[in-house]
Amino acid sequence: MRKTLWRRELRADAWRYPGESGEGPPVLTLAELLHAAAQGRLGASGIAVSLGPTDDVELLAPWVERLVLIVVQFEKSGDGRGFSQAQLLRQRLGYGAELRAGGVVKRDHLYLLARCGFDAFDLEPGEDLQAALAQLARYTVAYQAAADTLVQPRRREGLAA
Amino acid sequence: MVRVYKYEPFDRTFVEERVAEFRDQTRRFLAGELSEDEFRPLRLRNGLYIQTHAPMLRVAIPYGMLSTPQLRMLAHIARHYDRDYGHFSTRQNIQFNWPKLEQVPDILAELATVEMHAIQTSGNCIRNVTTDHFAGVAADEIEDPRPWCELIRQWSTQHPEFNYLPRKFKIAVTGAAADRAVSAVHDIGVHLVRAADGAIGFEILCGGGLGRMPIIGKRIREWLPQGELLAYLEAILRVYNRHGRRDNIHRARIKVLVKSLGVAEFARQVEREYAANRAFAPRVGEAEIARLRASFTPPPYLALPDTDASAGAPAAFVAWYRHNTRAHKVSGYRAVFVSLKKHGEAPGDMTSAQMLGLADLADRHSFGEVRVTHDQNLVLADVPQQALATLHRSLAELGLATPNIGTLTDMIACPGLDFCSLANAGTIGVARQIHAQFDDLDYLYDLGEIQVKMSGCMNACGHHHVGHIGILGVDKRGEEWYQITLGGSASGQVSLGQVIGPSVPKAQVAATLAQIVEVYLERRQGADESFLQTVRRLGLAPFKERIYAEDAVAA
Repeated sequence: MRKTLWRRELRADAWRYPGESGEGPPVLTLAELLHAAAQGRLGASGIAVSLGPTDDVELLAPWVERLVLIVVQFEKSGDGRGFSQAQLLRQRLGYGAELRAGGVVKRDHLYLLARCGFDAFDLEPGEDLQAALAQLARYTVAYQAAADTLVQPRRREGLAA
Repeated sequence: MVRVYKYEPFDRTFVEERVAEFRDQTRRFLAGELSEDEFRPLRLRNGLYIQTHAPMLRVAIPYGMLSTPQLRMLAHIARHYDRDYGHFSTRQNIQFNWPKLEQVPDILAELATVEMHAIQTSGNCIRNVTTDHFAGVAADEIEDPRPWCELIRQWSTQHPEFNYLPRKFKIAVTGAAADRAVSAVHDIGVHLVRAADGAIGFEILCGGGLGRMPIIGKRIREWLPQGELLAYLEAILRVYNRHGRRDNIHRARIKVLVKSLGVAEFARQVEREYAANRAFAPRVGEAEIARLRASFTPPPYLALPDTDASAGAPAAFVAWYRHNTRAHKVSGYRAVFVSLKKHGEAPGDMTSAQMLGLADLADRHSFGEVRVTHDQNLVLADVPQQALATLHRSLAELGLATPNIGTLTDMIACPGLDFCSLANAGTIGVARQIHAQFDDLDYLYDLGEIQVKMSGCMNACGHHHVGHIGILGVDKRGEEWYQITLGGSASGQVSLGQVIGPSVPKAQVAATLAQIVEVYLERRQGADESFLQTVRRLGLAPFKERIYAEDAVAA
């Protein structure tokens, strides 16, 4: 079972990602979600969706209130597109529920991912929880405003967002 | 007193936290906890390459500005961690070719004590922002670009969203009518411009670049209010980060996106993103602009009369004065080039003794400040005319007064095959060859301004596309050959050079240049017609005829 760092704790994750088999509740692809919505079959709440790097997050705008989990899949470690997807989801779409970095997620990326609005991370097998938490706490200052869900570095005054 | 940006505790805390992070990453790599593939993107974001002989560490010199304590620190690093020299690059940075990997965290900690770092000097992120080496002293300046450079430096430093771009990203800012920062071949060129009503804002170019696909940047915005600069840059970066190609490293720069969409469509997408992101984009308040401007106030100039320092002076001084000094906007002062293009030395190289000597001279004669130019020389920007004779003697003793600025031997060259693992061919040996061929200063002066720019491979770190004469090293079945271009220009009417014909063997490069300048001397319309003007008027044909006809005879 996947080991997910959610906020500051490790959770065994029950969600069933696209392509996985098992018992857990399903995570839809963006295409599946849009298809279900077009047919009026999309549930009123509790929806989870998984995004690939080329998926346009703005297509989710009408359904944001129904979503409880968005997984942004990193096919390659540190694919910059996922960082923009997260910022757009948090800022432009106002998405407030769990935003998870899935796929290839390295410890050294956790801090910037958290700055972009991720609050959950599928950790690599064998990753050390304390080390991951330490990485999240590594910086106390930052030059830019960002979605900043899990981390709150001090900003310089004078640069208004 | 020093006119580089002065760190506040905030900035110091950030750099120290970054050093601690890199120390931890290096430790994990050396302990086998991080693979080479995992470590690579981490070390690159701290300027560390693994090169032909050893790691290469590229230290950021933000927009080329150095205080003398910083220059002394670079000398200290060269002496204690390297082989007693450093190499100034075309992006106003300095590179150390021989550091030990395990010592790099210590080097970074030492740099932090003088408010320096190596953050984002490599990797697919926003690199050191560059500018005009005459910022603040040029008579044609609309506004000093350095506060804006510092603003961009801070905004781009560990930007959470734009640290993993499709490819590297370079921004240049200019504040004067003449572009001395080659901004048209940057991913973004930011120009301070004055509107008809006197207001100062920005013109934005995008999509320029060299490398395998040289392109001159296109204007995507005619006018941007000053406080909107970062908001607009964020819009460009977001469009690029989302839509730039990531499947092919040679198609990943923003210039490819701009070209494939067309500049009008690209600009439309940027404008749409800019408008849509209004609520979240950074805006620069007046107080912050004022704070940044305060770092770059003019030094305490004395009221001095303008004199002709060269009148009645010895010939060696007159030659140096004419070629290595420039007019200053303040009466009684000159800006002085420190030539790093001495015969026998690799262009851009400087020993620790030269650095220390120059730091003393800068303290004595130029308000404790030194600048790095994109063509690999240094500048003392504020020298009183009455100090020039003394300064000339001292620079000559240090080997830093070669009176060749703007001449053919003031050439740009990347480190080439001797140091760089990307290179196809050497550059340092060719530079020596050219120096030997053109060792007659009077002949060089008669040739006038000729910019030679040389790269050891297609990545074009030596800017060969925009050299009046460009030299590109190519590998032909394991041998070093050189392709020559004519007619490029990095300033004024920016243009890309055209290839004159088949590449020439290494031993023939300087002789080929000699043929090229012979044609120029024969065909120029008076001594006032520059090399570049002659090439533009004549085209390549007469140069080709000379070079390749003689080949045919020889064969």
